[in-house]
Amino acid sequence: MAYAYLFKYIIIGDTGVGKSCLLLQFTDKRFQPVHDLTIGVEFGARMITIDGKQIKLQIWDTAGQESFRSITRSYYRGAAGALLVYDITRRDTFNHLTTWLEDARQHSNSNMVIMLIGNKSDLESRREVKKEEGEAFAREHGLIFMETSAKTASNVEEAFINTAKEIYEKIQEGVFDINNEANGIKIGPQHAASNATLTGNQGGQQAGGGCC
Amino acid sequence: MAAESSKQFWKRSAKLPGSIQPVYGAQHPPLDPRLTKNFIKERSKGNTLPLKNKKASSFHEFARNTSDAWDIGDDEDEDFSSSFQTLNSKVAKATAAQVLENHSKLRVKPERAQSALSEMPTNCKVIKSSSEAQLSRSPEDACVRNALHKQQSLPLRPIIPLVARISDQNASGAPPMTVREKTRLEKFRQLLSSHNTDLDELRKCSWPGVPREVRPVTWRLLSGYLPANKERRKLTLQRKREEYFGFIEQYYDSRNEENHQDTYRQIFERILFIWAIRHPASGYVQGINDLVTPFFVVFLSEHVEEDVENFDVTTLSQDVLRSIEADSFWCMSKLLDGIQDNYTFAQPGIQKKVKALEELVSRIDEQVHNHFRKYEVEYLQFAFRWMNNLLMRELPLRCTIRLWDTYQSEPEGFSHFHLYVCAAFLIKWRKEILDEEDFQGLLMLLQNLPTIHWGNEEIGLLLAEAYRLKYMFADAPNHYRR
Repeated sequence: MAYAYLFKYIIIGDTGVGKSCLLLQFTDKRFQPVHDLTIGVEFGARMITIDGKQIKLQIWDTAGQESFRSITRSYYRGAAGALLVYDITRRDTFNHLTTWLEDARQHSNSNMVIMLIGNKSDLESRREVKKEEGEAFAREHGLIFMETSAKTASNVEEAFINTAKEIYEKIQEGVFDINNEANGIKIGPQHAASNATLTGNQGGQQAGGGCC
Repeated sequence: MAAESSKQFWKRSAKLPGSIQPVYGAQHPPLDPRLTKNFIKERSKGNTLPLKNKKASSFHEFARNTSDAWDIGDDEDEDFSSSFQTLNSKVAKATAAQVLENHSKLRVKPERAQSALSEMPTNCKVIKSSSEAQLSRSPEDACVRNALHKQQSLPLRPIIPLVARISDQNASGAPPMTVREKTRLEKFRQLLSSHNTDLDELRKCSWPGVPREVRPVTWRLLSGYLPANKERRKLTLQRKREEYFGFIEQYYDSRNEENHQDTYRQIFERILFIWAIRHPASGYVQGINDLVTPFFVVFLSEHVEEDVENFDVTTLSQDVLRSIEADSFWCMSKLLDGIQDNYTFAQPGIQKKVKALEELVSRIDEQVHNHFRKYEVEYLQFAFRWMNNLLMRELPLRCTIRLWDTYQSEPEGFSHFHLYVCAAFLIKWRKEILDEEDFQGLLMLLQNLPTIHWGNEEIGLLLAEAYRLKYMFADAPNHYRR
């Protein structure tokens, strides 16, 4: 299927915060209260539209368990966006964010867009992390922030799409070198045709037009 | 009738707690201070689980009791910090803690099995096609479907009916015994009852599959848990079982003083906990708990003939239950001894095997190999799980059990022969693979290979092909080094 861009994402965060459920809600529009724990990494994909352009998202959902870290780290490279997820009902998952962030920053390309997600917002009665705390953390570290519920689907679309918008804007601003696939972005076949109108101040990225 | 009822048993019990996933491994850094802190903190949380004080007497009840468990923290670990102090190795502590933490997160597992099972029509007919499976409509059904999703599909691929994953038979049901099968069973009985069982002969006979009637004792022998000498077996079993429960007393008991209910979950938790305590160097890796399930189910099958439909683990005598638990522990330990580097820091065994798989495939099917390269599919992206979980996530449990008949008969079955099985498994899908024309399609396919209806026949073919590959390449590593 034709698309203008392909963005690669990675989803990270502690075990049990809902990474796989967010992905499933986003790709399949359903919630799975009980599921097999992720082993290593798993893959999902979906098409979205931004600014009238078809954008393909390819998403690596990683296992939260520490022992898999050496495997999952290699997926940071080549990701244009990261969803860093914690569980608003478990304070420890919020406390670990700094570690996750360090890990992400260390292993990814410096322009990677990171969206901080406080998941399980439907469980208000069990909340341990205030929304303001999430906002403050995001502000302090230059992240985008949303609270989501993979269960009710609240903000799930938005989380994935806003991340894509941010990446898209960065492309328009010329921040991303879209000819370097290690940045997690590819130009799609659809884009090749209307290339000139989209490139913004990118210079000489024409060459990538045909790839997919 | 016996065959029929044991078939139903398989349906019922394959998704034991623990069966499914993650639990433990080499925790690194060895001691995570956060862990301790969390455990203590969790203690202060209200215990919302009725499970603790209530004896869950059946899978169903157990499931109900745990239905709210999925995102609750780890209330389970209430008494953990007290036992904590009694353990002497920090590393062991952390690893064991991880078992418990993960395990308690996993309490949901039996629920999944149960909800799936409770959706089955009472006659428990095997759902034969995915279209049939799709007919289910209730929300619970949806949930069951969803639960199968990981194994099954990202977008819309056929869903594996749980029964089909679990049943010990091909989806078509258990055929009556053929003359050949009767002869084989006779041969096994002879071997097993002889004064000194000829283990080489037993391996030879077991390679093509062990008849279910003699599988439990055969597995105990093949794994090296039981001695070949018939007279010594009884004593060995007694001693090993006592030894195991000695560990439990030493390390585990203090956690649950008030209540010793033997639910599936507890049994699995204990097995994994003790293993972790005794293997502080090993990784604490999700997936190891999967490896308990085949043993547990096989040893349980020895004692469950009737009324398996509503099988209630607490109806078994304490002795029987303890023996199943201890035997599962020892056999799983033997298995893990052979694949330890799969689960140590950075999982070098798995990395090595995935690399070897890649080399092997490049030699035996260049077209598939080049197809992957063309679309930038890396072997690690799909085969990591094949190695980490010994294909258990890719195959129905009945197939895993059949596979293990052979793995236990083959020298280095789990550590080495598995590689050839993975190669044969991959090539089995070559047509489907070559039909996919992009990265995404390939990954989706490889993550969700449709083995839903697989049974002994498919595994037999797979093993034959794996054997051929091994024969060609095993003793000539340069053959597959390009």
